[in-house]
Amino acid sequence: MAYNLDELFKMVQKPARYTGGELNSVVKNKENVGVRFAFCFPDLYEVGMSHLGMKILYSLLNKQPDVFCERVFMPDTDMEELMRQNGVRLFGLESRDAIDTFDFIGFTLQYELSYTAVLNMLDLAGLPIRAEDRDSTHPLVIAGGPCVCNPEPIADFFDIFVLGEGEEVILELIRLYNSHREKGYDKTAFLYQAAHIEGVYVPSLYHVEYNNDGTIANIKPRGEAPATIPKRIIGDLDTVYYPESFVVPFIDVVHDRAMSEIFRGCIRGCRFCQAGFIYRPVREKSPEVINAQSRSLCESTGYEEFSLSSLSTSDYTQLESLLPMLLEWAQEQNTNISLPSLRIDGFSEELAAKLNVLRRSGLTFAPEAGSQRLRDSINKNLTDNDILETANKAFTAGWTAVKLYFMIGLPTETFDDVAEIISLSQKIVDCYYKNPNRQKGKGVNVSVSVSSFVPKPFTPFQWEPQDTMEMLEQKQKYLRSLLTTKKISLHWHDASTSFLEGILARGDRRLCDVVEQAFRRGCKRDSWSEHFNLQAWLDAMDDLGLDPSFYANRRRSFDEILPWDHLDYGITKKFLIKENECAHNNVTTPNCRQACSGCGAARWKKGVCLS
Amino acid sequence: MKEIRIRFSKTGRAKFISHLDLMRTMTRAVRRAAIPVWYTEGFNRHPYLKFASPLSLGFEGLDESMDVRLIKDMPAADIVDRLNRVLPDGLRVHRAGEPVMKLSDIAFARYRMNFKDNNNNLSKFVTEQNIIAKKRTKKGLVRDIELSPFLNKADLIKNRNDNELCLILPCGSETINPALVVTAYEEYIEQCQGQHIKVLCDIARLALLNGDGHLFV
Repeated sequence: MAYNLDELFKMVQKPARYTGGELNSVVKNKENVGVRFAFCFPDLYEVGMSHLGMKILYSLLNKQPDVFCERVFMPDTDMEELMRQNGVRLFGLESRDAIDTFDFIGFTLQYELSYTAVLNMLDLAGLPIRAEDRDSTHPLVIAGGPCVCNPEPIADFFDIFVLGEGEEVILELIRLYNSHREKGYDKTAFLYQAAHIEGVYVPSLYHVEYNNDGTIANIKPRGEAPATIPKRIIGDLDTVYYPESFVVPFIDVVHDRAMSEIFRGCIRGCRFCQAGFIYRPVREKSPEVINAQSRSLCESTGYEEFSLSSLSTSDYTQLESLLPMLLEWAQEQNTNISLPSLRIDGFSEELAAKLNVLRRSGLTFAPEAGSQRLRDSINKNLTDNDILETANKAFTAGWTAVKLYFMIGLPTETFDDVAEIISLSQKIVDCYYKNPNRQKGKGVNVSVSVSSFVPKPFTPFQWEPQDTMEMLEQKQKYLRSLLTTKKISLHWHDASTSFLEGILARGDRRLCDVVEQAFRRGCKRDSWSEHFNLQAWLDAMDDLGLDPSFYANRRRSFDEILPWDHLDYGITKKFLIKENECAHNNVTTPNCRQACSGCGAARWKKGVCLS
Repeated sequence: MKEIRIRFSKTGRAKFISHLDLMRTMTRAVRRAAIPVWYTEGFNRHPYLKFASPLSLGFEGLDESMDVRLIKDMPAADIVDRLNRVLPDGLRVHRAGEPVMKLSDIAFARYRMNFKDNNNNLSKFVTEQNIIAKKRTKKGLVRDIELSPFLNKADLIKNRNDNELCLILPCGSETINPALVVTAYEEYIEQCQGQHIKVLCDIARLALLNGDGHLFV
């Protein structure tokens, strides 16, 4: 006997992940909509429901009278098993209809380790996982998000990738789809035309040839497809669509609060950071607009907390005028403001006290590297003094815990650089005990989190070899050996997941077979440590005759054709080469507000590039 | 400050909201509805809500109860309207008013149990004398609980497809979860028929009662 959905819900953990019906979720009459869109996040509900991009596009799509957009997440293992046993296909939370009859299935790709989850979701939906096996009767499977700046390892599974910011291009795609449907929809014809929309990359229209050594010989467009595909970018953040309400989950999700975007892009140009390059240039929203949007969000959701969202809150030029506006109503409504990635040193003490800055966000620094030399090399302009001065202030205010984020495996890193991670942490411990005004009778806790560097496309480090797993583990061991105090607690990330990320991040199309093989071998939830199985991936690569170190640990030459060379995020190769050379010479580059370094993003004629 | 008792139902999709999640959902609803409730003082200020009795995940509740404190007067009808305008599907407020009984007066609850089951064992099951449920206590011990006295007093309503049971169980300082009845019924079928069958049952809490069996108000 097969159970129905309601009965399945009674058998699983946290059924509210699958029931839908949350406040502000949109349920439309199916008869009255032309286009049905499944917005898929290839991870658990709790993770996906924290994602701002999904909230924006969900609301934007549902604002269109003829579009019905539903949310879809990866079910947990218990639910998946029951769905497969009972022949229940992956369904949209709003209508509970199986998504294989929808018009669009859109994935957001936030991290490489979600690739097999995508295949699992397509499989659970009862769809062929390869684009070539899906015809005009199937939904179009599309994707966006940071990973599509090199989507080659998953190119065979998708019909379309959307590069850059999605608010405009997604509507253009749907309009084109509608016009094709009026005259009889044919998938191939549609894809050929869609390829001419700016920001739309149709991977099947490009052919890749390889040299004998495994590097790429050329990437050729078929027919009229454009040779390079530029990303899309929104010019004016004050007028771009922003939701007036968010879906409010029943269960506790990772970020369970209202969020206001304050700017896109980042002025810093830290050389390891992909987000710092692919979202250029910096474009700010005005304080008045942020204030109005924040207030309406809080009122429509009832959230007791909201946060300002950006890559680096402190770089918002009008923070001092924005915060008093927000505080005025937030305090009255008992709403807390959270300011992630904030530097607290620039604040007046009065404002800091009002914001409860310390209590809310804790005291967190991301020096990324232990030594000043290496911080110069990666262009992270934070000095030991900056950190110590701020920590000292916080200790005086009664704070007793500090969190530090570091990376190991950065290009040019030596064991001396690694050792300085511990010496910097020790300096903070010493600073606490030297502070006469510290909280009496309490010890200090310096929590040090060390992740492993993964070189990413469109960064100055895109040519660099990733440290091998053995080397990363050796550096982790070395770090542990240097620890002499319990005041410092050390956490590190598993080197094996970083290795797989390293393979996929700069991979080419030949990895599509590997991703499929890994999925067939049971990899479905690589981003959950308890399900991660590197061996299955290595076996798959071995079977297909591909060498993991070719992708992860090899230094590329500047003139090699990279798998993502036909995608154009505005940043020129010339600039990235110059930045790479600066890194090797420990030379820093000024941020976008200090001076223009000519990265190429000025070509979009937007934001900071105009001033 | 005025204490107000809000009575609501939790049905349909909302039956999958856990007790903890319900508290958060109601907190936010009260905020959205801008009802002038008292906030707790201290580090983590939040509206003060007091729920009568937690309802298991997956059960419907037709007459649940939640107390708030008003810092400004607001007509009961207004509170009902404002909340209903902002509550998600499946949560509905029916009335509000000043509490008559204390929360600690609640001693029993009346349940409706809808068995998705076509064999006629249910009518025999409720008349049996030695139906024992195993209840796990907080300390991890298993305790035997005599269900027969409650089952013997239950009303059996036969529908076309389902067998429906209406019964009263302790719900207060001592509680018997109706899920224990389902488990006991599964064991009973196993004894009679020699095989284990998973019994599906929709459970709804119809009313909260005091020690004398009067409706909690």
